Amino acid sequence: MADRVEAARRRRASRAHALLPGRVPRWLWQLELLSQLARRRALAIRLAFPLALVVPLVTTGAPPFFAGMLLVVLVTLIGTVGTGVGVTRARASGWLDRLAVLPLPAWRVSGELFLAAFLVDAVQGSVIVAVVAVAHQPGPALLGSTWALVLAVLALANALGLALAALTDHPGEIMLYLAVLLAPLLFLSGLFTGVPAQGVGHVVAGLLPFSYLHQAFELTLGGNPATGDPGSFAVAAAITAAVAVAATAGLGPAILRRSR
Amino acid sequence: MRRYGNGRGVGPVALTVGAGEVVAVCGPNGSGKSTLLRCLATRTRPGEGSLRWWGESRPQRVRHRLGIAFELSAHVDEASARQNLGFFAATRAAAGHPVTAAALDTALARSELTAVADEPVGSYSFGMRRRLLLAEALLGEPDLLLLDEPTVGLDVGAAERLVEQLRRRVGRGAAVCLASNDTTFVERVADRVCFLLQGQVLRTAPLRDLLAEVQGHRELRLRCRGLPPLPALRAVPGVDQAALTTDGVVLTALRRDGLVADVLRALRDVDRELLDLQIRDPDLADVFLRLAGRPLDG
Repeated sequence: MADRVEAARRRRASRAHALLPGRVPRWLWQLELLSQLARRRALAIRLAFPLALVVPLVTTGAPPFFAGMLLVVLVTLIGTVGTGVGVTRARASGWLDRLAVLPLPAWRVSGELFLAAFLVDAVQGSVIVAVVAVAHQPGPALLGSTWALVLAVLALANALGLALAALTDHPGEIMLYLAVLLAPLLFLSGLFTGVPAQGVGHVVAGLLPFSYLHQAFELTLGGNPATGDPGSFAVAAAITAAVAVAATAGLGPAILRRSR
Repeated sequence: MRRYGNGRGVGPVALTVGAGEVVAVCGPNGSGKSTLLRCLATRTRPGEGSLRWWGESRPQRVRHRLGIAFELSAHVDEASARQNLGFFAATRAAAGHPVTAAALDTALARSELTAVADEPVGSYSFGMRRRLLLAEALLGEPDLLLLDEPTVGLDVGAAERLVEQLRRRVGRGAAVCLASNDTTFVERVADRVCFLLQGQVLRTAPLRDLLAEVQGHRELRLRCRGLPPLPALRAVPGVDQAALTTDGVVLTALRRDGLVADVLRALRDVDRELLDLQIRDPDLADVFLRLAGRPLDG
């Protein structure tokens, strides 16, 4: 009887322990990542829901143009929603208030919030790429450049999430702002109607990474987009990642709402 | 001076906090205590006027010298107390104030959190979270401690330990500015008190000077059936102040024989049945009542 009671106590105690109790984080991103990894059910859902969408999409012969479009929307939403909602929640709880008065530069706080969110999103994005790779077996150059572009677009989407969180204090409003911001960007990227062959639309689509990711997915899924090759995808990925990092650093003061 | 869109806020305020000194800011809800603390904590910028910390006006140059506990005890709930505390220790270390592992253990022990140090903070009670918040603020010997309602959620023992810790820090030259209406706590730690009302400074003075003003007085808190008869109570000889509180009336009066009997007679004369009466020696709350004509907690 005493053994059973003790065993039950130990079970309760082990459940009560935080993740990696022996590891004391030195950096904000480590603490934030720990927090995300500790929410095991949410983590499992975050990894499972892309599979639920991607597996039927890439294995049932959906037209590559439309399948690619959905994959781009999925990647963008993964990056934007989690970060935007997470940061607005942190503000509502008072956590950002506490971070704002620490002796840390604002760019570092936003950068570390970004990094923690990006690492989890990168796993989600990689799951998507892995499913596509298994189903269609693209060449290494195309696969590598598509993967790099997925990660870069996720980084940009994380930065967009931070920007949205700077605009509102309410997690629920993130979806509203997201729709207003993303719908025109995706339209201009030619996701819904294809990239125009010339003119302003062509130039604008060339400036937006979503159009490259769409082409990359289309090509990977066996389609035949009008433009796009692994080299241009890799260049787009590098530029997009650089823009995402710069935007994240620049958003620090707005996210913390530091007075100066 | 800092005013919000709704007109609330604080200012103008002229206040200095010296090394080795505890300044307590007291005032009713909405008087601007927290706004003043947030300005001092570099969280909010004054709309007018200037703020200087050790002669420096740039917040980024002084944040490493501040220990701050705001009213909301926000943490990363999924992480443990040790992990949350460790992160704050690391930020202090990065700013040139290293905190050893032993100091972390001591902070946890002083906060009586050692037994639950590896459990997620989300599973903590309100009081435990407050103790952790204060432990984080006190880490690494900050030169200026800014504490908003530090005794909220603390039991008697924890409040007592906080008093000891503050005295120790102040003894080593730290400055403390705290916002609190816990007069028992304030009277134990404060050197000076700044009373705020509707964003304005009502009075700033050494604690002993303020308490001297109510020596020889008594405070009577009473509840009666029906509306308290303020004019009748004010007419009782020796009554200085009479003000409504949320559940009755509070009087300050000169200490004299027959005072209570006179108050009871005044109630009887206007047909008010007494429900409850508390008599005690006056404290800071009575000083505020005399100055503002309204209770500190009203």
